[in-house]
Amino acid sequence: MSKYLDLGIKELHNKLVNKEIKPKDLVLEAFERIEANQDLNAFITLDKEGAIKRAEELENVESDSLYYGIPIAIKDNIVTKGLRTTCASHILDNFYPIYDATIIETIKNNNMIIIGKTNMDEFAMGSTSQTSYFGAPKNPWNKTKVSGGSSGGSAVCVSAGLVPFALGSDTGGSIRQPSSYCGIVGMKPTYGRVSRYGLIAFGSSLDQIGPMTKTVYDNALLLNLISGHDDKDLTSSRKPVDDYTRLIGKPIDGLKIGVPKFFMSEIVSDEVKSKVEEIIKLLEDNGAQIEYIDIDYIENAVTLYQIIAMGEASSNLARFDGIKYGFSKKDPEGIDDLYESTRGEGFGEEVKRRIMVGSYLLSGDNAKIYYNKALQIRNGIRESFLKAFEKYDLIIGPNATTTAYNLGEGLDDPLKTFLDDILVIPVNMAGLPGMNVPIGFGKDKLPIGLQIIGDEFEEAKMYQLASFIEEKLNLDLDPFKEVK
Amino acid sequence: MSDSLTREEVLHVARLARIKLTEEEIEKYSHQLKTLMDDVDKIKEVKLNSEERVITPTEEVTVCREDVAGEMLDPEEIMINVPNSNGNFVEVPVMIDE
Repeated sequence: MSKYLDLGIKELHNKLVNKEIKPKDLVLEAFERIEANQDLNAFITLDKEGAIKRAEELENVESDSLYYGIPIAIKDNIVTKGLRTTCASHILDNFYPIYDATIIETIKNNNMIIIGKTNMDEFAMGSTSQTSYFGAPKNPWNKTKVSGGSSGGSAVCVSAGLVPFALGSDTGGSIRQPSSYCGIVGMKPTYGRVSRYGLIAFGSSLDQIGPMTKTVYDNALLLNLISGHDDKDLTSSRKPVDDYTRLIGKPIDGLKIGVPKFFMSEIVSDEVKSKVEEIIKLLEDNGAQIEYIDIDYIENAVTLYQIIAMGEASSNLARFDGIKYGFSKKDPEGIDDLYESTRGEGFGEEVKRRIMVGSYLLSGDNAKIYYNKALQIRNGIRESFLKAFEKYDLIIGPNATTTAYNLGEGLDDPLKTFLDDILVIPVNMAGLPGMNVPIGFGKDKLPIGLQIIGDEFEEAKMYQLASFIEEKLNLDLDPFKEVK
Repeated sequence: MSDSLTREEVLHVARLARIKLTEEEIEKYSHQLKTLMDDVDKIKEVKLNSEERVITPTEEVTVCREDVAGEMLDPEEIMINVPNSNGNFVEVPVMIDE
């Protein structure tokens, strides 16, 4: 088996430009790897025929982009024209989008090759990818463990090296937390940095698309590609796009870094905490200044998330009615039955639970008691973070309170899925960028990750710190090392 | 305080959400929804330091684009995903009594 896909984007680009390899070699290698690892259940839909066809077409196209011929995997909540997009739900299991998301257009215009659509929690609602209608993906480090979620399929796909470049989405940690569990680099950019047009909406004021990769540098390269203003997304930022690689490799001395006390409190397991403490020591030894800080309302973020995300979801998912697309109840007894039976049979348990609670929280006076108050507290969190960034360059802590846990655990506990994301949700509330970089392993050789949080549009500085840690630790992040 | 919603309460929220539940689901959700609703009740205890709200976490002013006619979707393409259609029409059950 060839091993070109172990290389980074720049190295692959050079080999493609020199004609040492062809795009088709990479596509075939990706499918070889995917087929040898089907038990990981990383993908919902593969496009082998389309990918090979595109790779062959590219042989006659001049490589005019750094991304030319590079394969990529896409989370299955991002619409791809003509390629089935299910959101891991029965209600969309036969849905073929008729347009491309803006970032998919960008990817195609840059001649990247889409390999397939990755597994996830149904409508991105979950923290383990176990709510997928297509079954849960498995963690490559230990196949009895969860991958994390909701972008679990993308995390598994990158971690196992099937396709080492992927896109995920993050509403309440759905890029960072599975990246932490699977030992990869994942970035949730600043709200508004990446167009959401064509991302099937869950919590519109929280959702962001971001890159998931093996290395910090490749992650920054992908963010360079997908960032930018989009007329089709009202919340998309008009700020110029940075070169997110520009600070990679720069020394970190003088960087002022805050650690929220909440991030190192008793909610975090000892092994995760001690690994983060090692990193704090490493950063201090290299000239960074670390201080423990307080962020207002950070301990309330999960409650806010429940209210805001479930509320927005109940409204966003109202569009699935069995009429225009998707699963539809056969021979309904009237229009009400069409709506209610379609949604009753089409949505899975977690999604129904969230839509029902969300509808309840937004109904009548509840909107004022819950939703309005949540928005006020949300302002408090955001203001507190922004104030912290007047003094600090970056904020760090763990992404997850533990390492990946057993498949099947916590499925009947409606609160567990929210508590899993207790450390990652505050970032979505504040609209800030947050990322995961692997920092080592727990006792069962399961990955532990560091969360790096930046001020708005300061992703370059986050990559600076992440690349420093990556280089210093030089971890072996191949989950199949011993098997090979 | 009860640790579950009544059957009527579950059916009420299911109706708000336009979701039909099986008997088994009504039983299961009566506990789970209550657990979630009790949990979000914590928000009532939180003391506010400001009345300001964040709806979308950005300071940028959203600007609408010019209303210019652009490319249209192909009607035949639109119909690809429609579960019940008749030509270029979407079929739905009768909504108004005769």
